[in-house]
Amino acid sequence: MKRSTQLIGGALVVSALQIGFLYSIIQGRAAILRDGAEVMLKVEPVDPRDLLRGDYVRLGYEISSIPRTLFDPPLADADATGGTPVLVRLAPGDDGLWHPVGARLTDTEPSAMPESQVEIAGTVDTAFAAIDQVRLSYGIERFYLPEGEGREIERDMRERPFMILAAVGEDGTAQIKAFFDGKTRLYEEPLY
Amino acid sequence: MMASYVSKVRQDISRWLAEGLIDAPTAQALRNDIDSRAGGGFSFGGILAVLAALLLGAAILIFVAANWLAFPRVARVGLLFAIILAAHAGGAFLKLVRREAAGEAGFLIGGAAFGGSIALIGQMYHLSGDEAQALLVWCAGVTVAAVILRSAASTVAAVVIAASWLWVEMWDFWSGADVPHEYLLVLAVLWAVSLWTGARSARHLIVLSLVLYASLSYLHTEQLVIPFLLALASTGLFLAATFRPESIERFLRLGGGAQVHGLLGFVAGMSFVQFAVMDEPGFMLAALVTFGASIGALILGGRESRMLRWLAYAVFGVELCIVYVVTVGTMLGTAGFLIATGALLAVLAFVITRFERRMKAPAAQGGAA
Repeated sequence: MKRSTQLIGGALVVSALQIGFLYSIIQGRAAILRDGAEVMLKVEPVDPRDLLRGDYVRLGYEISSIPRTLFDPPLADADATGGTPVLVRLAPGDDGLWHPVGARLTDTEPSAMPESQVEIAGTVDTAFAAIDQVRLSYGIERFYLPEGEGREIERDMRERPFMILAAVGEDGTAQIKAFFDGKTRLYEEPLY
Repeated sequence: MMASYVSKVRQDISRWLAEGLIDAPTAQALRNDIDSRAGGGFSFGGILAVLAALLLGAAILIFVAANWLAFPRVARVGLLFAIILAAHAGGAFLKLVRREAAGEAGFLIGGAAFGGSIALIGQMYHLSGDEAQALLVWCAGVTVAAVILRSAASTVAAVVIAASWLWVEMWDFWSGADVPHEYLLVLAVLWAVSLWTGARSARHLIVLSLVLYASLSYLHTEQLVIPFLLALASTGLFLAATFRPESIERFLRLGGGAQVHGLLGFVAGMSFVQFAVMDEPGFMLAALVTFGASIGALILGGRESRMLRWLAYAVFGVELCIVYVVTVGTMLGTAGFLIATGALLAVLAFVITRFERRMKAPAAQGGAA
């Protein structure tokens, strides 16, 4: 009898823990989609020959590479390596796109920021001393496509500008909300 | 294999009892012990059940990747959640009715559904980046299941996922990041879990994955001291397993095979050393040490363990080919190379056959005495 309660109880606890954990991730992502600040980002091809990877396209952004001089305080060489968490400040431009206007390490004190601006969280990939650029990732470098639609989009992306509408949460976590071909909304993400 | 071992020991017990070597209570105690252990291992049906679980698990993972407009994604997540619940609960039920292997298979399906859910959520929200981290989360979820359900199969699965994490981590950031030393911590945790769940095969995999860890660390850092240390530690393990088998068994609880791990680790270490010094005089020394080790392993442990014996033969043969290629191979043409290799292997096969016969003869005598 004891073994039976232990086993069945254990199985229920395991399921509850695993499902609860997964559910919390979904909730977190849905919350960003629902409440996050919206920013429109210009997509720039990462590697034009090889955008399509299995069932998703790889996306690069204008903000994937920013001048090192944007960092305040200046980026130390020790921090300019892979994995350092940073926050990049974005401001809306006249073209409706958001552009980087500042950057800082995540664990530094934030300075005063105008209401209209948004900080997006990323990590450093590499920094090139010679050309004074820092490459960053924001966790939104992938867009999963319905089967069979990849090739067409890959082709179009080489020819005309694509945009991503991203939602940015309180802590700067970014989440893809919609995928634009010029002004046309190709895909819009439901909350769940 | 387990089943044949069990029936063999049962026959032996009956024979010992008939010959008056042991008394009836001892015979019964031995049989009980065998049965209790056999339950944890896998019979043929058990292996089939686990294979079925692996196939179903793979089907779940593929289902996540493909077919993804046919269902709304909420339905797919819901389905995966239902599979997590059903597989764990069903596995527990099967274990209750004494279908151990089928129950473990159920837990494996549950673990696969958990991993599939992580992948599906990543796809739903277009999460990019850290595959390695996703694997680690998967590993953690399966480990928790192994602990709570006391599941040996889940423990093995967790070790395999952890090793894939190490692999992805080191290949993904091949240029930038350091060797993930957290891996050792993960292995320590999994080792403790394997003691709790009685997953002996998980411990074997952990020891093997330590060799993988050392090898990747070397390839990553090119510090020749790492393969040296690996070879040294493996020699230590081999010698300890040879001269103090009880202590090693009490310490590692591998149920045998420690010598094989020792020889494997040694050979892995020495191969890297040899590749590194291929054009230097040190190469011949390293090769000689490896030859010596395979012969030493044969002498010290070859009688008891057939696996060790064959591993030692393999090491000797491969080493012969390497030395041959490095030294004379370049001077001969392809045809000459093939003839010489063929002759060498023929001689080796002859020696091994003789050796095996000699190994069998005393073993048979020992059995009859």
